[in-house]
Amino acid sequence: MSLVSEVLTGAVRGGTSILYAGTGESFAESAGVVNLGTEGSMLVGALAAYAVASETNNPWAGALAGLVAGGALAGVHAYFVLQRKANQLANGLVVLFLGLGLTSLFGASYVSKPARSFTPWRVPGLGSLPAVGDILFNHDPLTYVSFLMVPATWWLLTRSRWGLLLRAAGERTEVLSSYGHSVQRIQYLAVVFGGMLAGLGGAQLSIAYANAWFENMVQGRGFVAVAVVIFAARQPFKVAAGSYLFGAALALSPALQARGYGINQFALDAIPYVTIVVVLVVLGRRRAAEAPEGLKKVFEVSPST
Amino acid sequence: MADVAVVRVPRREVPAKVKDGVRWAVALGGAAVIFGAFVLAKGVNPFEAFSSMFTALGTQTSLTGIALQASPLILAGLAVAVPAKAGLVNVGGEGQLILGGVCAYGTSLALGGSLPGGVTLVVICLAGALGGAAWSGLAGVLRLKVGINEAVTTLLLNYIALDLMLFLIYDKWKDPNGSGQPVTAPLRVAERLPLVGTTGVHAGIFVAIAATGLVWWALRSTRWGFQLRVVGGNPEAARRAGLKVGLLLISAMAVGGALAGLGGVTQLAGAEFKLRPGFLVSYGYIAFLASWLARHHPVRVATAAVLLAAIAVSGDSLQLDSGLPAATVNVLMALVLLAVFGWTQHKKAAA
Repeated sequence: MSLVSEVLTGAVRGGTSILYAGTGESFAESAGVVNLGTEGSMLVGALAAYAVASETNNPWAGALAGLVAGGALAGVHAYFVLQRKANQLANGLVVLFLGLGLTSLFGASYVSKPARSFTPWRVPGLGSLPAVGDILFNHDPLTYVSFLMVPATWWLLTRSRWGLLLRAAGERTEVLSSYGHSVQRIQYLAVVFGGMLAGLGGAQLSIAYANAWFENMVQGRGFVAVAVVIFAARQPFKVAAGSYLFGAALALSPALQARGYGINQFALDAIPYVTIVVVLVVLGRRRAAEAPEGLKKVFEVSPST
Repeated sequence: MADVAVVRVPRREVPAKVKDGVRWAVALGGAAVIFGAFVLAKGVNPFEAFSSMFTALGTQTSLTGIALQASPLILAGLAVAVPAKAGLVNVGGEGQLILGGVCAYGTSLALGGSLPGGVTLVVICLAGALGGAAWSGLAGVLRLKVGINEAVTTLLLNYIALDLMLFLIYDKWKDPNGSGQPVTAPLRVAERLPLVGTTGVHAGIFVAIAATGLVWWALRSTRWGFQLRVVGGNPEAARRAGLKVGLLLISAMAVGGALAGLGGVTQLAGAEFKLRPGFLVSYGYIAFLASWLARHHPVRVATAAVLLAAIAVSGDSLQLDSGLPAATVNVLMALVLLAVFGWTQHKKAAA
């Protein structure tokens, strides 16, 4: 396989978990809630999926467990932020810490224990196309689900009534409540649903991408998802582009090493994070102005300049 | 509506202090019960777990351990508190601690023992503080010039800092006599922090205490501290009053990063003497929690840091006695924080 197609295949493989988490975070942020606990939702999702897949021998049951666990942890964030008015950024990190602790407590017995994972499935016909077949159509089922999720999310957020209500919860709360809708209920739904998708992203990481569970295996992907959502301005197709960019940067390191380039592995490991910061810098200014009102309150405690 | 005078008759209530006390007790008790339930789910008797955590705290080793952990935690906690006064969220403690250690070690290597040990120690402290300040200052500049939220950039910079350190200790700085382990050669003996009396505690704890006092004084009594608080309270008003908001925000971030960087140096020059892959892992996050626990008041931040250090040390005994992973105490820390977040809001609503 050529370097380019290897990196692009890796982009989809490695980017999918971030795509799930980023799509989930797009829902939450559209409703005006930032969830740095996305990292934690991915962690509990990854462990729950791995544990259930290991016990039941059924990766689909694992994926469902990841979904539920991610949503449950996001529910904790929603409760303290919406009901107790805790600071969103700080509380998100506390929730991450909770996830980190719980997964090391309950995950220790699953380290190096085998689990029935998803296997790549080559789509008949499309999968045998040159180049594109390998890059897009030879993946695990959760990756195919994510292909459908992106346009579905676009439609939900921009074209559906539900999406309108969601954006109103982030943008024009007074309009929403004067029409008799509960802002808080919509925000709850958005945050928990976002956590479910992050949990599914964690599941993709443990039972499709890595086929393993180890402590703190998410390694900042949840934070990257939050960053991607910022520069993508919560638009699903741009979230996908940002996620695959991170995935490509992840895939670059093993691809170069396999070709005998003597570059230090840890210098290469920094590339994905550096890429995301650089993209934030390049696209940052334009995007910040487009954030919903509710988010500006969080992100701009003090204005720039 | 304006014509109707609403008269509120205050109800006779339990004194506020008693109510507060009850809320604290319920919140922290609740955290302990939930933690106990999780521990029980792992098949460990929660009462035995708690008692082993408590009894271990009194021993000499534990007290030394708490003092050792407290030095970097206090400094990294202050690194969160100072920017927070200006309304900024610094989650980059991890990266700033690491950069402090890396810059200090690199400076010591570059000097190669050409200066007297004491002088080198001072120089590497400055280098570490500068390294931390540069790392957090970068996030501050990006916030001002590009408008990216500093919480997100400081988080991402943590991972870059870690990879930078790993790159150095697996490659250029790897100890040739280290039997293949990814660690650096130890710092020269003359460049290390002295121990306090006959204890195993190094002088870094005094650096941390002095920094706490200094930050407390600077925030309370200097012009800079006053202006920071104005910016944190109402940036628009601060700008209209002619304050240099941009400069203030960046200086708050840089001072924070310098404190965390110093924390990295004290750990290097006082406790570990070499850089290794797990250098100060998760100290930055625990320090962040300490600062939020204490609502960014310097003296209380230091107290909270000692408290969390005690929880962390008691977690080690949990690991030894009950066989639970050391990171289990993260659950307890998070639950305590959530209890406090939930509780403080009650207080605000009542006021």
